[in-house]
Amino acid sequence: MEHQSLVRRLIAKPEFGPFVLLVVELVVFTAINPTFLSPLNISNTLVFTVELGLIALAMTLLMTAGEFDLSVGAVFGFSPVVMWTLFNQEVMPLELAFLVAIVIAALIGLVNGLFVTRLKIPSFLVTLGMLLVVRGTALFVTDGFPQRTWNAGDQWIAQVLVGDFHIGAFRLYMSLFWFIVVAVLFWYILTNTKFGNWIQASGGNPNAASARGVNVNRTKLILFMLCSAMAALAGIISSIRTSAANPNSGTGYELEVIAMVVIGGTALMGGRGTIVGTVLGVFILRTMRNGIVLVGVPGLAYNIFIGAIILGMMALHYGLERRHQAGN
Amino acid sequence: MAQDLVRMEHITKFYGRVQALDDVNFTVREQEIVGLLGDNGAGKSTLIKVLSGAVPSTSGDIYMRGKKVDIRSTTDAIANGIETIYQDSALVTQLSIARNLFLGREPVVGPSFLNRMDYATMNQVAGELLRRVGITKNIPTTTPISALSGGERQAVAIARAMYFDSDLIILDEPTNNLGVAETRGVLNFVRNARDRGHSCIFIAHNIHHVFQVVDRIVVMRRGQIVADNIDPKQSTVDDVELVITGMTDEELAAASATPAA
Ligand SMILES: Nc1ncnc2c1ncn2[C@@H]1O[C@H](COP(=O)(O)OP(=O)(O)OP(=O)(O)O)[C@@H](O)[C@H]1O
Ligand SMILES: [Mg+2]
Repeated sequence: MEHQSLVRRLIAKPEFGPFVLLVVELVVFTAINPTFLSPLNISNTLVFTVELGLIALAMTLLMTAGEFDLSVGAVFGFSPVVMWTLFNQEVMPLELAFLVAIVIAALIGLVNGLFVTRLKIPSFLVTLGMLLVVRGTALFVTDGFPQRTWNAGDQWIAQVLVGDFHIGAFRLYMSLFWFIVVAVLFWYILTNTKFGNWIQASGGNPNAASARGVNVNRTKLILFMLCSAMAALAGIISSIRTSAANPNSGTGYELEVIAMVVIGGTALMGGRGTIVGTVLGVFILRTMRNGIVLVGVPGLAYNIFIGAIILGMMALHYGLERRHQAGN
Repeated sequence: MAQDLVRMEHITKFYGRVQALDDVNFTVREQEIVGLLGDNGAGKSTLIKVLSGAVPSTSGDIYMRGKKVDIRSTTDAIANGIETIYQDSALVTQLSIARNLFLGREPVVGPSFLNRMDYATMNQVAGELLRRVGITKNIPTTTPISALSGGERQAVAIARAMYFDSDLIILDEPTNNLGVAETRGVLNFVRNARDRGHSCIFIAHNIHHVFQVVDRIVVMRRGQIVADNIDPKQSTVDDVELVITGMTDEELAAASATPAA
């Protein structure tokens, strides 16, 4: 009886569906094209996966608190532009420029959060506006041209963020390490800390939470700032790795990131969030992107599969939730 | 006679032009269950919303144990030991029983920068509390509220009020939509709370439920208190119905004899 209920509990977990889907993807793609599992392909796929993944992790906390942020893609493009412009114009050393870029991103998050919590404007509208402001600024200050980043290689901060190393045949980047650190940290915060309880309560029932003395607005403000700062970090990492700070980069990432989060089982309207699910969601989407090309499906068909995955996973998550509620 | 726990004096409330409360004086004593009755729109919910900080009164004062208190928000009310329990709204349905019980006051273990919740204590205390309010079924304290029945949810909310030593627990129609057994459960939780030293205000339309549990009945009609010291042991449901509707025996007989025009 214990065993049976353990299996049942596992199946009822929101992470179970995404986990199965990821395994199926891996099996199918490998069966069709074995190079899918080659060290080279895995290394190449991982690089960008973890960069988007960093944003998805922060977005998970924000969405659990009942808000989301559409401006992350724009911040992803804008922050490296800030950093490299400050550095290239010899205004300040790279480390300082890095800090300034992250702080500016956090301030963008703060503004998002203030509009949402003080003026009670839905985060959809606030962050949509911010997307345009930030992207517009990035384009304006650069005249639309990419910034030089090629003198990054010898900087220690570049090494810390994206330095590469080899394990066997795998070529890995430091960003993978940061992704793991952040995932563990956020998982711990969400599941084990007081603050995590407040995040979930803020998204689940803000009135009840604030009646108990939880500062819902401050919780959301912190998460908006965190989300923007992570988008900036991801953008900077990406710019160093690709040696280009393009004011246009990151376009459309907000939707891909939100898709990763909801596929993993985090509720769009808040109250329920899972870091494990998001990690699965991140890999599901990036594996799909990579696998489709490898097995010879035209890359242009990618969105068809992504859309189908989102619909399928939503049907699953909401079905599970309804079954849960029917139990009362 | 027991001490006054809460005294509301000359409470008036206007919603725009609608007057919901008209110079209401209302007291609850220590360790007393007061049944608050009245027809739809009599002003019961408004009165307890003023007391629980959900709506501001237009005028009037509130005293706790003789000391004037300023209640401007639900947080103020909770800080003053006044806890209100609605059917659903006080709990976060996605969170577990234990997480709800301690929401906002989670105990922490280990170094403070780790901010780590003390799960062991939370679950242990929660389990004890559920037994204390009278839940006999073995419900794991990690169960999310969404998986509980209406009565069990009330029980969790009552347990929380008891644990954090609320002096006054307000229940606005707690037995609405509940079955027979569930209702009996909630009535038991209320009695247990009183026996452990808490006072309660109990609002319900079902007068029989009120009779089973309260020490004193207060009746409101059109924003005013029309009776504030009915002893359920010395009156009948019919008597109280008359006070609620405000009709004499003859009027009531006439009303039920002639079909509505
Ligand atoms: N938010 C509001 N805005 C305007 N008028 C209100 C509001 N809330 C209540 N009222 C009015 O105040 C009066 C008292 O309402 P209240 O909700 O206190 O009644 P009640 O005794 O709780 O009734 P019920 O038994 O139906 O719950 C009613 O006339 C109602 O229409
Ligand atoms: Mg009412």
